[in-house]
Amino acid sequence: MEVVDVRPLLAPLISFACAGLVFAMGRSVFWRRFWSLTAAAVKLLVVLSMLPGTLQGTVFVFDVVEFTPGVGIAFRADAYGMFFSLVSSTLWVLTTIYAIGYMQGDKDRVRFFGFFALCVSTTVGIAFAENLLTFFLFYETLTICTYPLVVHAETPQALRAGRIYLTYTLIGGGLALIGSVMTLNATGSLTLGQTGILSADLGTFTLVTIFVTLVVGFGVKAAIMPLHGWLPIAMVAPTPVSALLHAVAVVKVGAFGVTRVIYNVFGAELLQTLGYASYLGALAAFTILAASVMAIMQDQLKRRLAYSTVSQLSYILLAASLLTPLAALAATVHIANQAFAKIAMFFVVGAIGRVTGKTRVGELAGIGAVMPWTMAAFTIAALSFVGLPLFAGFATKWYLSLGALQADAWWFVVVMLVSSVLNAAYWFPIIHLAYFKTAETAAAGDDRAARDPAAEPRSLRREAPLTLLVPILICAAYVILLGTTAEVVGMPTSLAEVAVWQSFGLEAPAP
Amino acid sequence: MVLFGLDLDYAACVVLFCLGLYMLVAKSNLIKKVLGLNVMETAVFAFIVTAGMVEGGDPPILVAGTSPPYASPIPHAMVLTGIVVAVSVTAVALALIVQIHAHYGTIEVDELKELP
Amino acid sequence: MSAAWPTLLPWLVVLPLAGAALVPIVAVGQPRRAGRFTLFVVLLTVVVAAGLVWHLSLTGPFSVSLGGWAAPYGIELRFDRFAAWTLPLAGLFAFVVPFAWRYLDGTLPPERWAVFYALLLLNLGGLLGFSVTADLFNLFVAMEVVSLSSYALVAVAGRGVAAWAALKYLLLGAVSSLLVLFAVGLLFTLTGSLNLLDVTIRLAAGGPSPAANLALASLTVAFMVKAALFPLHVWLPDAHAIAPSPVSAVLSGLVVKVGIVGLLRVLELAVGSGAPLEVFNQVLMLLGAIAIVMGAFLAIFQNDIKLMLAYSTISNIGYIVLGLGLASPFALIGGSVHVFNHALIKVTLFLAAGAIIHQTGFRTLSDLRGVARVMPQTSAAMAIGAVSIVGLPPTAGFVCKWYIALGAFEAGQGGYGFALVFGALFIFVYYVRMLNAFYFQQPVRPEVAAAREPPWSMRGPVLVLAALCLIMGILGGIPLTFVEPAVSDLLLSMGR
Repeated sequence: MEVVDVRPLLAPLISFACAGLVFAMGRSVFWRRFWSLTAAAVKLLVVLSMLPGTLQGTVFVFDVVEFTPGVGIAFRADAYGMFFSLVSSTLWVLTTIYAIGYMQGDKDRVRFFGFFALCVSTTVGIAFAENLLTFFLFYETLTICTYPLVVHAETPQALRAGRIYLTYTLIGGGLALIGSVMTLNATGSLTLGQTGILSADLGTFTLVTIFVTLVVGFGVKAAIMPLHGWLPIAMVAPTPVSALLHAVAVVKVGAFGVTRVIYNVFGAELLQTLGYASYLGALAAFTILAASVMAIMQDQLKRRLAYSTVSQLSYILLAASLLTPLAALAATVHIANQAFAKIAMFFVVGAIGRVTGKTRVGELAGIGAVMPWTMAAFTIAALSFVGLPLFAGFATKWYLSLGALQADAWWFVVVMLVSSVLNAAYWFPIIHLAYFKTAETAAAGDDRAARDPAAEPRSLRREAPLTLLVPILICAAYVILLGTTAEVVGMPTSLAEVAVWQSFGLEAPAP
Repeated sequence: MVLFGLDLDYAACVVLFCLGLYMLVAKSNLIKKVLGLNVMETAVFAFIVTAGMVEGGDPPILVAGTSPPYASPIPHAMVLTGIVVAVSVTAVALALIVQIHAHYGTIEVDELKELP
Repeated sequence: MSAAWPTLLPWLVVLPLAGAALVPIVAVGQPRRAGRFTLFVVLLTVVVAAGLVWHLSLTGPFSVSLGGWAAPYGIELRFDRFAAWTLPLAGLFAFVVPFAWRYLDGTLPPERWAVFYALLLLNLGGLLGFSVTADLFNLFVAMEVVSLSSYALVAVAGRGVAAWAALKYLLLGAVSSLLVLFAVGLLFTLTGSLNLLDVTIRLAAGGPSPAANLALASLTVAFMVKAALFPLHVWLPDAHAIAPSPVSAVLSGLVVKVGIVGLLRVLELAVGSGAPLEVFNQVLMLLGAIAIVMGAFLAIFQNDIKLMLAYSTISNIGYIVLGLGLASPFALIGGSVHVFNHALIKVTLFLAAGAIIHQTGFRTLSDLRGVARVMPQTSAAMAIGAVSIVGLPPTAGFVCKWYIALGAFEAGQGGYGFALVFGALFIFVYYVRMLNAFYFQQPVRPEVAAAREPPWSMRGPVLVLAALCLIMGILGGIPLTFVEPAVSDLLLSMGR
């Protein structure tokens, strides 16, 4: 049931306006923080206000401008878009609070928070995009808005990372543009239709080209191998940016885009007959395993998290490629599960770096005693990734396994089991080091304390400041919440279920 | 006048045009290039006037003593305007050459290319 | 009331020309008055153009015969939908003129200001005349007015170096003008008429003839030179880079479009005449695609920002020509809209670059490092222009690229679609370098560190233009309302 409502337009517009205000009044610390937080909070409220309707199966639409019949800028808040925007809005509030604390004393904060807020609005624009043109418009704008954040430090490595990031993402954008144009040419429409707009009689060449260009184009941001190269390199950005890129904005947008292509451009039925999705599935499976292996070999904490993200994102792609309802459910909920857990981890890593100056795995001995709450959150997130019951990650793996079996692809279950083991292999050493090793006189830690008089020696308990700690704990709590309330109506999973019914063209079951 | 299957009038224009083009392209002296341009322009004018020629036509003036067929006045008007344009272009070109000479001390393209 | 507007059509052309004659008189003894008077004339012209466009949107294309001599014997001025382009044309001049007020302070001695503004007005008059005339010879004369004033404008502020660039421009431009004159004469000989519509009809009635093809080919080559289409583009980089920045803006944004409008007129002429249009299209497509890539590629190696912008113009002309050559509805729409959008973006970029050069005294990337810290607004305008010209959404450049890419696939030429998208990305490499240098590096020159934002007469136009670049992507529908009917008429007559 479609309802015309201005809120899908309002959400990106309001945070866009707030971004402008940050640029205009940002010299004052108060106003900068005020508008940044207002941007995030108002967006969350607007999105939340649409939630009850979405749970009933209502879809909110709003046409902005039409260039030619069928091609224009329009918004459509269906369940999947609502899910994504809810996740990103919630995390935005948390990330903004964290960033305010983390970036204290840093330079160029007007630019930072201004573009931060701009990324907010573009991400929601992507979530609510009604057609490929609107999607593409916000997609590319997101690329532009994240660039100043990536190169924030302005060091040669940061600039190099920014160049590489732009190269990857713009080439991906170019491919996506070609795919969109071909779709328009083939079908006369760009609408992200509920069950796909392409039809089988378009010819193999056209369909394959559209599939490849769109999937690769969006897959660059989703960091599927071999297109993942930009992600570890972009770790040079400040931690709030890495958290943003890795959990909320860029990578999720890529995964979101690929799933939109699969379900709303091609449609599950068409792809089942065409069989292209199995190639994507194979590539995703490979990425899951290969990236996990590479994560084990990383000593830098942020790089380990980066490769873990690459691996986790391919869960979403793998699940989407299986084309069964349960797998689609897994894909959708994993957007939230991975987001909260990974962001918690990034926050933790950032807090550790800020407070103790440690950035490598080897340095983390005994940190569980120094920063107990922080490390507790990290542990929760790690357990979620491994997939223990009661944690969010378990829900994903459960649904994904069921979906794989539904699709007669039992070997994906094997992939997931292996991946769980690998996850344990690169998370548990950190936890072990943190809690069960005493803090020796690590040379790196000592030097840092000597250079920075504000950093206390490791023997005293020195927890992260509240602005950093509170978001960490909230995310960790969410991880547990997502894991334990999977069957409860009104909780995120039920929204995901509505999204799945819509994607497969089924009716939402009565509440 | 037709000779050897070729209309000599038009052939002459073509030859003149090519001569002018050669001067424009091959000569190194800037003033010679401008001269070549003028020769080309003259060739085009000659072509237009020739094309507008009417065999046995009278001047296109309505007075006693003239009668149809008249030579078409439009090519004449075109050529007159063209001459004005050509003169203006030549004037601008020569002014530019004076500037070039004042600055570089040479008006040979070979030498100008060597300079930074 | 609106019925009176068509009679003002000749005034559209006469106003700037008369203004050009009056400027030296007005400015006797008070050079600054020259600039103010010029702006006054330009604004009057904008008002007339606006009225004409409004009348066009109400009643459709209309024409006026000069001197009471009806077409096809007299000179006819026709205001069709492509001529709606005169409004943004004059409008962009209205931004350039105030910019020039303070810009000329450092670059031209006051005695020459009147001449400069007179030349600008001549240029505007010629451009407007070129756009609205329906008479072939008038077309030639208007083109010459534009060309001559352009040659002079390139050289007016510099000394030997500018004169040399202007002379190279002149020699090549004069040859192309000659080709137009030759073609016009030939067409007159063949058809006995100089009126565009009339010639079209007579050519079509006459059927294929080698002489007509020669005339059309000659016109095509001439306009290729004017549009700086590869491989006849060699005059453009030096001329546009060496000219003073307001002049570069006009040259790159508006004067090269003479070539494009000319090619469009050739297309209209050739319809039905039996001329091999397929060859014409193939050549345009190929050269356009090469120009896109080559222009972008050469731009990457430039250190001088104005040279880089000039090569970027060559690349963008490639887009427009590619759109023309593809000749499918969407491609033609995209190409025509890009005529307008590129003008807007290029004027923005050149004016912003000019402001930076004026304030700091430097024009190379290596010298201009860190300039964004001292001139944030101008640099932001430059950044917006850079994003627009690459064609990233939501800016102006995106709409055109979208349409041309769509047109490429529509015409079954997917390969050109790929070339288009990736050519744009190519040139973004340079713009990233430029933006990195401006924003993310420390100033190396003390003059740069001490520079400040330009005065408001320079800053205002730049900022407003940048804002327009940003929103024209969303408001892309406005030029489309004029271009779409024009294109469908054109295609209808082409039998597609």
